[in-house]
Amino acid sequence: MIREKETTLYLGPQHPGITGNMMVKLKVQGDTVVKAATHVGYLHRAFEKLIERRNWLNAFTLLCRFCVPEPDPMELTYARAVEELDNREVPERAKYIRVIVMELARLQSFMLWYAGQAGSAGLYTLGQWSVGDRNYILDLFEELTGGRIYHMFIWPGGVRRDIPEGWKDKVLKTMDYLEKRQDDYNQLMFDNTIFQKRAQGVGIVPKDKAIEWGVVGPPLRGVGIKSDVRIDEPYEVYDKLNFEVPTAEGGDIWARALVRKEEFRQSISIIRQALEKMPEGEYTNKVPNPMKWVVPEGQAWAKTESVRGEIGFYVASNGTNKPYRVHAKGAAYTHGVTVLEKILPGQNIADVSFIMNSLGVCPPEIER
Amino acid sequence: MINDKDSQKIVDFIQNFARKQSLFVMAYGTGCGAIEIPATMTSRYDAERFGIRGAATPRQADVLLITGYLATKTLKRVIRVYEQMQEPKYVIGFGSCTINGGMYFDSYNTINALEQYIPVDVYINGCMPRPESVISGFVKLQELIQQGKADNGKKYRENLEWYRANQKKIIKNWKMPDYNW
Amino acid sequence: MTELIKEQHLLDTITNTFKLKGRVIRDRRVEVFADKELVSSILLFAKNQQGFIHLAHMTCIDWIDENKFELIYTIWSPVEKIHLFVKTKIDRENPEMENIDSIWDQANTYEREMREMFGIQFPGLIGEQDFVLEDWDEMPPMRKDFDTAKYASETYFQRPGREDAKDVRETISERSGTKVPDFAKKYSREK
Repeated sequence: MIREKETTLYLGPQHPGITGNMMVKLKVQGDTVVKAATHVGYLHRAFEKLIERRNWLNAFTLLCRFCVPEPDPMELTYARAVEELDNREVPERAKYIRVIVMELARLQSFMLWYAGQAGSAGLYTLGQWSVGDRNYILDLFEELTGGRIYHMFIWPGGVRRDIPEGWKDKVLKTMDYLEKRQDDYNQLMFDNTIFQKRAQGVGIVPKDKAIEWGVVGPPLRGVGIKSDVRIDEPYEVYDKLNFEVPTAEGGDIWARALVRKEEFRQSISIIRQALEKMPEGEYTNKVPNPMKWVVPEGQAWAKTESVRGEIGFYVASNGTNKPYRVHAKGAAYTHGVTVLEKILPGQNIADVSFIMNSLGVCPPEIER
Repeated sequence: MINDKDSQKIVDFIQNFARKQSLFVMAYGTGCGAIEIPATMTSRYDAERFGIRGAATPRQADVLLITGYLATKTLKRVIRVYEQMQEPKYVIGFGSCTINGGMYFDSYNTINALEQYIPVDVYINGCMPRPESVISGFVKLQELIQQGKADNGKKYRENLEWYRANQKKIIKNWKMPDYNW
Repeated sequence: MTELIKEQHLLDTITNTFKLKGRVIRDRRVEVFADKELVSSILLFAKNQQGFIHLAHMTCIDWIDENKFELIYTIWSPVEKIHLFVKTKIDRENPEMENIDSIWDQANTYEREMREMFGIQFPGLIGEQDFVLEDWDEMPPMRKDFDTAKYASETYFQRPGREDAKDVRETISERSGTKVPDFAKKYSREK
């Protein structure tokens, strides 16, 4: 007879399968998880405290480091909150550039997801391909903004720079390439029996509980609820572009993977449309002297759609040249704690990092 | 024969040569720099050309890569990981945050100078360092190993008390096994 | 601003039910101000009867001049597509707030963080005392009167800066004995 004794297993913080520097404390019986508890704090840098000591523009250098795989939505969300507080207009061209940057950021994050999701199932080839190809997008970012990972490109009132000459063609060329490459990725991932067997029916988010638990983004669309900030509360020029919000049924890892696979296509299509429709004109309105810039008293909430789900910023000003309070909420804040703790019991130990990857758990977003 | 000074030199040379060609990097992403590691390891930059590859556990690893800022909670785990590693062991401080705190210089939860807590062989500056600079940092480490200058594991053992005092100043609840090997 | 019928209707429903003050901020944004005893009933009412089923965000602002903590509950209705902000102020001394994790499970995470970062007590809150920090024995760090720069400079080793006020390229070139490239000379501080 097998001994039915409960053991405590600390998964992480130093564990190759975990999606960052965090720890999941598991109570296991055999290799079945009985209870799970997330422990975070290994990446706590006190961003929100530090932003209170910086001025309104200096905050951007900190903000984009909230979540590493996809820093741009943070900048956009904060910039939109500050624009609302200070009544700053954004030129039409800047809005299109912002959309392009956001979608490029989504694409590169999807490619990291491909690598992580397949890697945690033991399919390492896909990681080599997609992370290698991700460099093409980072090259585009580098030419546009000067940075590979962190861009600090979006600011209240527009973007920092106009698009360079010839950049448009490079983007279109990269998009054509990625569209072809995605078929290869899908072949390796979705046509692979190992992935099918492991993903189907594992890590199910129940449909009736999903919104209550705070599930957002692809995991929510994976249970069949059509929810996307880009259509619920359109920002920038998303209401002028045609795109689908894919959904899937089932709520398991497979459904979430299908949603992401289709979103990858949609992002490419959005970038193409935005490049086509982008008008000529100014790329930014004048930004005041950051040392003297005083934002009027008030509070604002802005949210955007990132790869993992909605990201919201609550910004409060007391009428000085420094933010009084900035509070960020990323999708991982609920995915990584409440949702993970609720869906892990009953799963295999081997599936834990698989589920974490598919939920998009990004620890720096939880503790900031 | 082996006690002969010249032959020892040859043995050292061969040992160092072999060591520098296979650096197993501890797969512990302590901070945001971990995002450039996949890029460094995959097809475009392909760090495996230099014999750099990942290792899953501390006991198999040669290099501890501190990728960015260290929160005090992580510092405790890093020390534990570092002490579990077998000699020869090397530490690379990756990113400005390990050098002087970088943009988190005034944060209450991140340390500002890594070499006060564990000995560091090579620092790579930048935020974030590009994969090229990561590789150049590794090449620098290889040079140091070839010259026999990278013996920080020994330095740590000899100055353990000094390091411990610094570490305990930050980590209040010290419940860790002794470092005695 | 004439098109905000949906928002105005929602505001009227809630303010009339609970006798509150509130306002429509702009489209899709409605805020109400409540006493702390009323917050959980407003949230329950909004969740069960008005369709605000998603707790988007919870935050706390430390208004040190007023000696108050302001708690803000942001809830979202996927049907009406409106954000409702429920705001309340509590005393800064011995702050205590009702625990709402029976309404939304995810509120537990926010409350644990607030307990740690601001020292607000939520009676009946499940979860370990330490959420993010470990062995922290100072004042809750997100309070405005906690000086993070002072704490950092006292606790952590500060690396002294370079003494020469030169451009960093010149310092590096001097150290390594190489020449400063031409394109970098325009940044030189020695004019």
